[in-house]
Amino acid sequence: MRRRIVPYFLLGPGTIWLVLFFVLPLFYMAELSLWSGAVGSFEFSWHWANYSEALELYDSQFVRSFFYAGAATVLSLLLAYPLAYAIAFKAGRWRNVMLFAVIAPFFTTYLIRTIAWETILSDESPVTEVLKAIGLAPSGHVLATSGAVIAGLTYNYLPFMILPLYASLDRIDVRLIEAAKDLYSSATQSFLRVTLPLSAPGIVAGTLLTFIPAVGDYVNAQFLGGVGNRMIGNVIQSLYLSQSDYPSAAALSFVLMVLIMIVVVVYIRFAGSEALMGEEAR
Amino acid sequence: MRIRKPGRTAGTVVTAVLVLASALGLIACGGGSGIEGGSSTEAEEVKLENEPTGSLTISNWPLYIDKGTVPAFEKASGISVKYIEDINSNEEFFSKMQPLLQEGESGGRSIFVLADYEVTKMHNLGYLQEFDKSALPEFEKNLTASLKSPPFDPNRDWTAPWQSGMTGIIVNKELAPEVRSICDLFDPKYKGKVDFLNEVRETVPLVMKCEGVDPSKATEADWMKAIEKIKGAAESGQIRRFTGNDYARDLTSGDAVAVIGWSGDAVQLQADNPDLEWRMPTEGCMLWSEDMVIPVGAPNPTAAEAWINYVYEPEVQANIAEYVNYVTPVEGVKPILAKRDPELAENQLIFPSASFTKNCSPTPPLEGEEELKVIKAFDAVLNG
Amino acid sequence: MSGESTRARTWRWLREHAVNIVAGLVVLYLLIPIAVIFVFSFNNPAGRYNYTWVGFTLEHWAHAFGREDLTEALLTSLKLALLATVISTSVGTMMALALVRHKFFGRRAANFLIVIPMATPEVVMGAALLSFFLILGSPSLGFETLLIAHVMFCISFVVVVVRSRLIGFDRSLEEAAKDLGATAFTTFRLITLPLILPGIFGGAMLAFALSIDDFVISNFNSGTTVTFPLYIFGAAQRGIPVEVNVIAMILFFATVSAMGFVTWQQRRAEKMASVRPDQEEIVVVPA
Repeated sequence: MRRRIVPYFLLGPGTIWLVLFFVLPLFYMAELSLWSGAVGSFEFSWHWANYSEALELYDSQFVRSFFYAGAATVLSLLLAYPLAYAIAFKAGRWRNVMLFAVIAPFFTTYLIRTIAWETILSDESPVTEVLKAIGLAPSGHVLATSGAVIAGLTYNYLPFMILPLYASLDRIDVRLIEAAKDLYSSATQSFLRVTLPLSAPGIVAGTLLTFIPAVGDYVNAQFLGGVGNRMIGNVIQSLYLSQSDYPSAAALSFVLMVLIMIVVVVYIRFAGSEALMGEEAR
Repeated sequence: MRIRKPGRTAGTVVTAVLVLASALGLIACGGGSGIEGGSSTEAEEVKLENEPTGSLTISNWPLYIDKGTVPAFEKASGISVKYIEDINSNEEFFSKMQPLLQEGESGGRSIFVLADYEVTKMHNLGYLQEFDKSALPEFEKNLTASLKSPPFDPNRDWTAPWQSGMTGIIVNKELAPEVRSICDLFDPKYKGKVDFLNEVRETVPLVMKCEGVDPSKATEADWMKAIEKIKGAAESGQIRRFTGNDYARDLTSGDAVAVIGWSGDAVQLQADNPDLEWRMPTEGCMLWSEDMVIPVGAPNPTAAEAWINYVYEPEVQANIAEYVNYVTPVEGVKPILAKRDPELAENQLIFPSASFTKNCSPTPPLEGEEELKVIKAFDAVLNG
Repeated sequence: MSGESTRARTWRWLREHAVNIVAGLVVLYLLIPIAVIFVFSFNNPAGRYNYTWVGFTLEHWAHAFGREDLTEALLTSLKLALLATVISTSVGTMMALALVRHKFFGRRAANFLIVIPMATPEVVMGAALLSFFLILGSPSLGFETLLIAHVMFCISFVVVVVRSRLIGFDRSLEEAAKDLGATAFTTFRLITLPLILPGIFGGAMLAFALSIDDFVISNFNSGTTVTFPLYIFGAAQRGIPVEVNVIAMILFFATVSAMGFVTWQQRRAEKMASVRPDQEEIVVVPA
């Protein structure tokens, strides 16, 4: 009897904390999203119109957020894979140094990193000159464009892509790749048929860990974006924190969460669930 | 989570709550000292005598006061001041304070400084206190005549202007020498190099002026038409971004060459880039004031009134005006500054002459249904 | 022609090293902003705006803590991060122990509860918590609500880190201790805890890093309390003082040293774990 209580005792405090301050607030937010009225005189009234109005007014910000986050995820994957691959198979004694480089950005404040990009991409900076010269700045500037926002998102969430990728690549038995090379003889083919499929859990985990926070991000759009680059996070933030329009903001947050859930569920159905839930959650 | 055996569950919950309680005990111990600053002001008893004592917490915008005034006031009055520069946006500050004010608390603060329209909103919600005028002789005596009876507070019973100012254009003289009007900001030559303010009550009326509409007589259709024009400029890439004070970043880095901006800012910006200059748009400017108000639940209203009275002494105000370069609401400052620096006394940004501001308009009234519609339309432009 | 073959050779070399070259460029991409922050911590701007390079000075390093409001914000952040780390690490470690060591009803649900906050965007978490506080009518948004929020989003990460350490745990040492007559608690204290300590350290460090860096959730639930990231956000409107860069770099170097220390600890623990009872005598004193 005593032993059976132990796990519940161990789980108790954390579970209570998460239920009280994560799950319960979601219900409260659901309630808030059905309020009506103005500041000082809000009341609960099953005001479903908050949802339809929110969706109608901010549909383009939703589309934009998913597009930016998707683009950033794809870019991250393209950048992260070679690096993770190099760390796992080619780095040798440089491995720890490279891993350090990957997590180093975590050790400086997120906002300052983003503001540093503001400096780097500023109109007069050498980086911008180069980008202009190779035709990557059609509007004449880089900062205050969608490109800058996507670049910022890519940068800020890149480590979340690299680490799981590296973890899954590192787990691959090199002999499998060697065997494949013996059999197929083409490096490309052995990569496509052995390495890539074996690193799939890393890809799934990495893309989710990048995509989910990126959709809700508003810091990058705030500092690196310009006119027409605001994301849904910016809208939620401004409705909550400067316009005190809590019901609309709550409705938008809910829609955002549901949309993300749908994307994640579809994606996991498509790609397998192990990566997200961890190994012993089967 | 469904748990089938109630007996065991109850036991688990009890132990869990006990653990949580001890964890919370930890918070209480740690947190207690964490809010020391705030709680000591809050705990301050409201003294009923007329002599103000104790401490005073003021919320104001950043860089809105010289370095000497607060210490000088502390010395003169014996009141210790906590001066917090935590207002970056009228709306945001209101949002942060609103839940507190609703409960009759002020977060330990006894003075806020906010725009006319924001304090009007707060007053309507019952969040502000009236002044005890007998404690404000300097304010009564020295408040500039033109500010004595604004429509929202005809007797100045609960607002005291902190500073006034003008919204016009700030240009880089080297890179955009010929920008002289709001209409010039729409010149395709400066495409992607122009910032507009994200303040609906300033940006939209200025654009109306460019279209030849008097903002104080504007109809809803005029508002919408001006917003439509801004929208067009946003979509074509003419406007780089909508900003608050952060247009300063774009101006100093050269990312923007002309912006809609505030008069006092430009003078301070010249330290970073001497080419920057505030210009009166040929169409005229927008005039505004930001007011000191005493919120409900203010821990020490007597000290707050002592502060208001103090900054309305011309000698004191001269120091503030010299530093912030906004339009001072206090009479008698000009001769004092003239003695210190004749050039400063002639500065049209601090002491604008009637002819200088002849085309300027006060913040236009915007209320009720119309306000909601206009704000919604402008927000849609901001959000792109 | 020899030129041709050089070109071909270069081409082949490039192809062979393509992955490494790209990887090197990505590392550069990751580090450039940090270099910029570092360089601009020595800048000497004429006015308030630290955006263009003006000149070199050590002034801001010498007076890193000269700005009262900034230092206060930093101290608030440090205190908050420390408390959030202590609470979330203890609570999270317990959860991880339960999940790895025990089979029990509701395990799946518990797992789900831990994963789901990590799969929720910060803006939603912040907004939900603010809704909660608003409806409860708790007027005192501030340090306490920040602490509640920070512990909430740290727990999951601590669980994941500690759990991964527990999974690779060799239980024979614990059994040996029990065979020698140690009680469950003594075994935990003398065997289990020291062995999983690096995992706990790792989890704690992650929690600390997450907490001290958090902007989004804090922005929703801070009330009038100002943390370091919130200070930066406010200052961005009016010009960020150079001291912010200096403090950011100080935090960077401090975290790097802490990480070095944890790695060293981990190596030591691994050495310890590789020692088998039959190779060396382990003294277990029953309490």
